[in-house]
Amino acid sequence: MAELDLDTKVKLAVYEITADTGRVPNSSQVADKIDIGENEVRSAFARLHGKRLLLPEPGDPTRIRMAPPFSGIPTSFPVEANGKQYYANCVWDAYGIAAALHCDAISRASDGHTGEPLTLEVKNGQPILKPYVAHFAVPAAHWWDNLIFT
Amino acid sequence: MLLFRSEETVNAWCAAHDTPRRPLVNLEQLWQLAIHWYANRLTVESRRPAPDEMVSIFSSLGLTGPFWDPKSDQWK
Repeated sequence: MAELDLDTKVKLAVYEITADTGRVPNSSQVADKIDIGENEVRSAFARLHGKRLLLPEPGDPTRIRMAPPFSGIPTSFPVEANGKQYYANCVWDAYGIAAALHCDAISRASDGHTGEPLTLEVKNGQPILKPYVAHFAVPAAHWWDNLIFT
Repeated sequence: MLLFRSEETVNAWCAAHDTPRRPLVNLEQLWQLAIHWYANRLTVESRRPAPDEMVSIFSSLGLTGPFWDPKSDQWK
């Protein structure tokens, strides 16, 4: 197998740690996992951001706010899967965590207006369909203008 | 994007936030979007779909028009 480039190694490490622990790692944790300097990891975070694969925490290049579909901070879309709790960035990403991990999952979310609890579930590789809807407030051309709001 | 029980609560949220009503996606469509975007996210080959691929994916799910076109300049 060909040697992986640094950005790919960093990306894989971010996702492997996240999948294993339920928490998106910081640059120090990634550096420890793949045995490179933390500065190199931070530079890779920035390049992966440029490729729209990661979003560093605003004002803190050592942390990751979003490694889609995973969130680096708690959100209103918690997802239970593989005996761990993850956080998704949005309702799309709540399903995205089940898709990325290839496992069943349950997200105890809520109605965006009323706050009524609404559960999303993936069982045996398929979603349990309900008449809920997702509202896309931002057009596709502007999703990366302000990913945190989108 | 947010989750809602029904179109009625979407409309109430839009009114409360003085936000225009935009497209709604049902859970089957949302699941298919999740598969397209994230099924290989933990692999070496993972990447975000290119703009033309995005349009093709959206179109296959019945999501068409400039709102779903990442290269559209119609939305400022």
